[in-house]
Amino acid sequence: MHLMSSKPQALTSTGPMRAFTANSKKVTTELIEINEDLIGFNQYLTEYYKQLADAWGVAQKKVNLKSPEVPQNVEQIEAFKRIWIDMFDNDFTELFDSKKFGENYGKLVSKELELTKHWNNITNVVLQSVNLPSKEEIDEVYKELHSLKKRIGKLELKLKKKETRKNA
Amino acid sequence: MHSESKIDPKIMEEILKFGKNVIDAPKLVSAPDEISLEVTPHDTVQKIDKTRLLHYRPLTEKQHKTPLLISYALINRYHILDIQPEKSWVRNLLLQGFDIYMLDWGSPTSMDKYLDFDDYVNGYLDSAVEHIKNESSTEKISLQGYCTGGTIATAYTTLHPESVKNYIATAPVIDGWRDTTVISNLAKHMDVDKMVETIGNMPPEFMYYCFSVLKPFEQGIEKYIKFFKNIDNKKFVDNFLRVEKWLGDTPPIPGELFKQWIKDIYQDNLLIQNKMYVGGELIDLKKIDMPTFTQIAVGDHLVSPECSMPLHYAIGSEDKTLRMYPTGHVGMIASSLSQKKVLPELGKWLSERS
Repeated sequence: MHLMSSKPQALTSTGPMRAFTANSKKVTTELIEINEDLIGFNQYLTEYYKQLADAWGVAQKKVNLKSPEVPQNVEQIEAFKRIWIDMFDNDFTELFDSKKFGENYGKLVSKELELTKHWNNITNVVLQSVNLPSKEEIDEVYKELHSLKKRIGKLELKLKKKETRKNA
Repeated sequence: MHSESKIDPKIMEEILKFGKNVIDAPKLVSAPDEISLEVTPHDTVQKIDKTRLLHYRPLTEKQHKTPLLISYALINRYHILDIQPEKSWVRNLLLQGFDIYMLDWGSPTSMDKYLDFDDYVNGYLDSAVEHIKNESSTEKISLQGYCTGGTIATAYTTLHPESVKNYIATAPVIDGWRDTTVISNLAKHMDVDKMVETIGNMPPEFMYYCFSVLKPFEQGIEKYIKFFKNIDNKKFVDNFLRVEKWLGDTPPIPGELFKQWIKDIYQDNLLIQNKMYVGGELIDLKKIDMPTFTQIAVGDHLVSPECSMPLHYAIGSEDKTLRMYPTGHVGMIASSLSQKKVLPELGKWLSERS
């Protein structure tokens, strides 16, 4: 009787659900932080589209000033297209080259990476609950592997150079 | 009141023709996977991790004594240097009697995220040079570095000058602070530590974004209008698809390498100040004392001339040549101008020193 009743308890103490429950607080914290970062991400994304829309408006005004007439034939359409593309390319390149664009884009990417980081952390909780290695643990293996390969590669190259000098 | 329409009927004709071309396109063009980018025959003579050393088969009876190794960029693949017979950089040099090797960096995966500058310079590139020296029984080789491959080749040349007889820098990324391109602006504002820590390697998608903001309307609209207008021109379509396939095939960049790249070149600009370290050794550009040929494209919007040119003035060599061409980053290596002007000049310079 005792064995029968204690076995399910033992199972739950080692099973995936217990491991997951133990870390569920972490998942909740990550989800709260995701929401906070999402607000920041949306701010930078809005600014990103605003900058694009503003550049579009200014470029279109310049095109209208430069080419006020509606094109009437194939040659005029071709000329209008050339003006439109040159103006838009110039104005958008000026935007992409600007400090304000670079800074906002950098912050936007940074926020996206924060979101990815939270998602990685949640995934790690799930991975650990089923006894699989976390991203950090896999990275450690990659790092060790890289270091070993580097050492072997350098030794092999050293030997090869020695051999070449010997044969020369 | 009757108002006379001034619209040229040819406009309608053009629109209808363009529409027909768009409809016909799927029947006339090959799918990207049907296009092979391997043009000039070659053999893989060495494989280390994901990198391959390619040796092109000769096209002339006699060849210059000193072989030439090309260190291609880390962005996109080496195929652009051999994109089609009439515009092939490799084929042109083979026909001028040079013995050509190419280092294909391969496609790094997640497990390669710790590969750094040291691995590329003192590992893969040095191993390739040693292999060529053995195979061709020469003590020195000629080395060409293109774009970011030019930065790696520059670092290599300063650390191993005893192995390099002639150095050719083609649009190399050298002085990050002087670079006026959009890419440099994005790189300067990037939190590269967070990027590498979070996602490991620099994903190709990020590179595609960077490409999309370079002349977005010329490249994103006009290029495709031209394509559909020329859909009946087999040669044009073939060339277009080859370049498109090449553009759409960029491998990830290993995280550690990318991190050092962005910080040391674009953010802190250490290379041109002789303050950059690779594998614990200082990169001193003055140590480049062999004949050096620097090729710059005036209209380069990926690596601006101001970014590449300082190399010419920073190196220790007394036999140095700087050439500027009225073309762009890709135009310098894969165009009719490169065949008619860039390559003959390079061939002449190199043959006198090979």
